[in-house]
Amino acid sequence: MNKRSSSRFSHTKLPYLLTLPIILLVALLVVYPITQAIWTSLTDKTLGAAVDTKINFVGLRNYNSLLHSSTFLASLRITTTYAFLNVVFSVGAGLLTAILVNKKFRGRGGIRALMTAPWAFPDIASVIIFIWILNSAFGVVGILNQHLPFDTSGGWLTSSPYAFVSIIVMSMWKTFPFYSIVFLAALQGVPEDLTEAATVDGAGPFQRFKTVTLPSIRPTFVLLALLAFIFAFRQFSMIYLTTGGGPERDTETLVLAVYNTAFKYYDLALSSAIGVVGLVVTFLIAVVFLALQSRAEKSN
Amino acid sequence: MAIVTGSKFSNAIRTTLRYFVILLVSLLVIFPLYWMLVTAVQAPEVTLRYPPVLYPIDPNLKGFHAIFFEKQMGKWLINSGFVAILTTAITTALSILGAYALSWFKWRGKVAFGLMLLFTQMLPEALIVIPIFKIYSNFHWTDSLATLSLIHAAFVIPVGVWILKPAFEGIPKEVNEAAQIDGCTPMGILRKIIIPLCSPAILAVGVVAFFASWGEYLIAVTMISTEGKYPASVGLASTMSQLDTPIQTLLSGAIVYGLPPVILYMFIQRFVISGLTAGAIKG
Repeated sequence: MNKRSSSRFSHTKLPYLLTLPIILLVALLVVYPITQAIWTSLTDKTLGAAVDTKINFVGLRNYNSLLHSSTFLASLRITTTYAFLNVVFSVGAGLLTAILVNKKFRGRGGIRALMTAPWAFPDIASVIIFIWILNSAFGVVGILNQHLPFDTSGGWLTSSPYAFVSIIVMSMWKTFPFYSIVFLAALQGVPEDLTEAATVDGAGPFQRFKTVTLPSIRPTFVLLALLAFIFAFRQFSMIYLTTGGGPERDTETLVLAVYNTAFKYYDLALSSAIGVVGLVVTFLIAVVFLALQSRAEKSN
Repeated sequence: MAIVTGSKFSNAIRTTLRYFVILLVSLLVIFPLYWMLVTAVQAPEVTLRYPPVLYPIDPNLKGFHAIFFEKQMGKWLINSGFVAILTTAITTALSILGAYALSWFKWRGKVAFGLMLLFTQMLPEALIVIPIFKIYSNFHWTDSLATLSLIHAAFVIPVGVWILKPAFEGIPKEVNEAAQIDGCTPMGILRKIIIPLCSPAILAVGVVAFFASWGEYLIAVTMISTEGKYPASVGLASTMSQLDTPIQTLLSGAIVYGLPPVILYMFIQRFVISGLTAGAIKG
């Protein structure tokens, strides 16, 4: 059934009424705040200034200082690295585990249920567990630092590069099971007669995967890679509550930079400018998402 | 017809290897949660032993007692429950209307509406939570659990719409043609046919909305400043930052707060996945 044939009514004003509450809500809570952020980014507003402080319009000055700020450029690099490693490790682990559990075996249902646990588990609760596990005096993983060939005595969450590694591992634990379940659904849609035909033609397991399985799960793969990127770009609480963006500002992704610049450094205008850069990035991701989606529809 | 590709022996090795890797992955997934349960019921002296004891010794429930009676876990859970229920009500109602408009109607602005939802869904809350706070503190709407649930709803509604849209589209055309002949209005069709037929998907939207709100931290910590109004995410995070809190207490809190969504999600997995991937897998 294609999309056009599923529209059944066309004559009424009803769809506008139906969507009005959502449009109002988004206008009040998303669009209006965005306009405020854009406006603030063009001023010299600070947080906690006296009420009668005059706020000056400064044009693009904040954006200009962002261009010359090494912390901002570093935060862009940290965001990209974090997102990229999430895509590679979480989506990769998701695919591998899905292939593993794709064949029928005893206890498969149980494993699938188990895979749901980490991503259904709330961020704060996960943070509490990981801070405890990584505690360098008493944590079950953290105490390993006494036996490792490299120096982690500064703490897993408080020294570089271990803090960054820790948040990657934590994000991976939290997200890869989700990708695994989605991959599994896609793998089960791979037509069996194709796999059988390939087997008859003498293709080994690896060749079968490359020529039959991979092409049919490719759309899922691309979609999940993009989703992983989006999740990583949005991730705030897990990083904020474990490292706070530190040590120094080594794990400060763009969304953390927005928050810290406002609440730690009181520069509301600069924070807004970083936020506007983030909005542009979000917009670009949405465009990529749509392009991929329309390509997938055409090939159907 | 079985086609034998390898000897029985190499098959056996392959199967064993597979089970081994599956076991290993499962252990990695489950270990942090297992460790939470162990530490939460264990006496502090045992917890601090070196090397660590991997199973509970002298299990007791003191941590649970402390998180409820020394901290205000009960109150925080009630607050979280209130915000989550309100978020669920708003999200479910508005998602049904929005998905109906997107799936059954042809109208100008349909594409723009879809784009608006997509952008909202992808938008990191951290980018606009400060302006939201600034704007609504002018109206004295901050530090209110009701306002918090409105904001939560705004961010979950897109997911709700994407879960419901394919379900609504899947209703056979004959059904609504018959209903129209019987004199049913579009709203009547929604109420009498679509909502009953799609109740599993609607239930899934409710669960997703409930736990999206239940687990949310950033907006909650920015908007709510009175300790008595803290939802559980903020209460636990503030307990965590008080360094003298015993780890047993903290992890007991994480269990009480974290396990309900895990258990419920296991039942509605399928719907959640289709919503979060924006129904794009099947095109």
